[in-house]
Amino acid sequence: MNTQTISNSQQVIQINGLKKSFGDNHVLNDFNVDLLQGENIVVLGKSGSGKSVLIKCIIGLMQPDSGSIQVFGEEVPKLSHDSLDKMRINVGFLFQSNALYDSMTVRENLEFSLRRHWLKTSKENVNDLVMEALNNVGLPETIDMMPEELSGGMRKRIALARTLILKPKIILYDEPTTGLDPITGREICNLMLEIQKKYNTSSIIISHDMNCVKITANRIVMLIDGRCYANGTYEELSKSNDQKIKQFFD
Amino acid sequence: MKPKALNKLLSEAGDITRFTGKFFKEAFKPRYEFAELIRQCFYIGNKTLSLVGITGFIMGLVITIQSYPSMQAFGAESWLPSVVSVSLVREIIPVITALICAGKIGSGIGAELGSMKVTEQIDAMEVAGTNPFKYLVVTRVFATMLMLPLLVILSDTIALYGAFLGVNMKQVVSFHLFTNQIFEKLSFGDVLPSIIKSVFFGFAIGIIGCFKGYTTKNGTKGVGRAANSAVVVATFVVFIIDLMAAQIADIFSIT
Repeated sequence: MNTQTISNSQQVIQINGLKKSFGDNHVLNDFNVDLLQGENIVVLGKSGSGKSVLIKCIIGLMQPDSGSIQVFGEEVPKLSHDSLDKMRINVGFLFQSNALYDSMTVRENLEFSLRRHWLKTSKENVNDLVMEALNNVGLPETIDMMPEELSGGMRKRIALARTLILKPKIILYDEPTTGLDPITGREICNLMLEIQKKYNTSSIIISHDMNCVKITANRIVMLIDGRCYANGTYEELSKSNDQKIKQFFD
Repeated sequence: MKPKALNKLLSEAGDITRFTGKFFKEAFKPRYEFAELIRQCFYIGNKTLSLVGITGFIMGLVITIQSYPSMQAFGAESWLPSVVSVSLVREIIPVITALICAGKIGSGIGAELGSMKVTEQIDAMEVAGTNPFKYLVVTRVFATMLMLPLLVILSDTIALYGAFLGVNMKQVVSFHLFTNQIFEKLSFGDVLPSIIKSVFFGFAIGIIGCFKGYTTKNGTKGVGRAANSAVVVATFVVFIIDLMAAQIADIFSIT
């Protein structure tokens, strides 16, 4: 279990009264949560309960119907395109499907985030950043390989390296262990913890994998019926007698 | 047509129109993705060059062989090069090239963008600070608009060599005489409308392929459907544009 103490209580993400519907399906219905500096929150909920929608709203890929999402004090739904782009420098996103650009090499995949013209990164610096990100995930030898040549676990690591290249302060993980065997899944979870320690990142992790939840979570948020149904550590929630909570830990 | 089907058709027409509007809005705003545009031009040209060339040659040869008996019946064999060249350059080659590109490029764009959509690569681009519409759609549409006329010019040239071979299979005509007979009738007014028309063909193929791919839903099944409908709709639109081009050319007496 991740027992790291959250010494600094500065809120990096504040979500209040978040609502998002698709037709009559109210996936998020008055959802509230705060993420503290250096904290890992796991959002636990059934499939289709709106977990991925939540993190897509945080990164600005989806617009909520109402409610407030503040990242480092900035109201995400109200940000202009340029401000949103600048905010995304500080917020990394690991996609469930990895979303590696399959027509590009690993190097090109990693360099893609550095294309932002206002970053003004020199060629030598780009190379250093790419190598540092690949070293962080232990795969420097894959630099000139295509994504199709990599295994599932390697792709996940490369996707994580791509997320890390801009050294974000917050990382949003969308089901990071889905499709991986238990051993590789555990390796990815440990890697996530290593990264958290090294860069003092805060994370919101969407997962169904209880092993991953146990390893990575400082706090678990149960997303049920579009709301934050329960909130606590793994130990606290695993002892709950509430049937809706208990079913995830059985 | 059932009201539901009509509703779907009109709704899709509206979506394509909005998508086209977004293309014009994004196309002329910086940042310009020149490197990706050049890459797409090379890819489109390289992918279709041989197919378009071979088809052009065959069309030139076949049209000449099939036209010969009719021309001979009227004692007008000497008119064969000019008649064939006008029909090849004005109509047959631009349309055939557009249909080949609709099949090869349109489906390719639809499948590629569709697959990127369902594997969240388009979202990843947006998170990475790149405008995916500009990077993926604007570059591909401009690339098809630029490459279609070039492919048509190339195919026109190769088709005329095919026609030369066809003429020589029936009678002996020197290359010099053949080209003289062609350029006696073939004017700039024949070539220009076909080039302009092919720019519009390229635009239609690019925008429809991109629209179908960019709006793909329902996973891998949706990718197949996007590729397939990109070809069907682009083919249909090519014929509509051809019909409109013929009418406009007629109105302005570009004949």
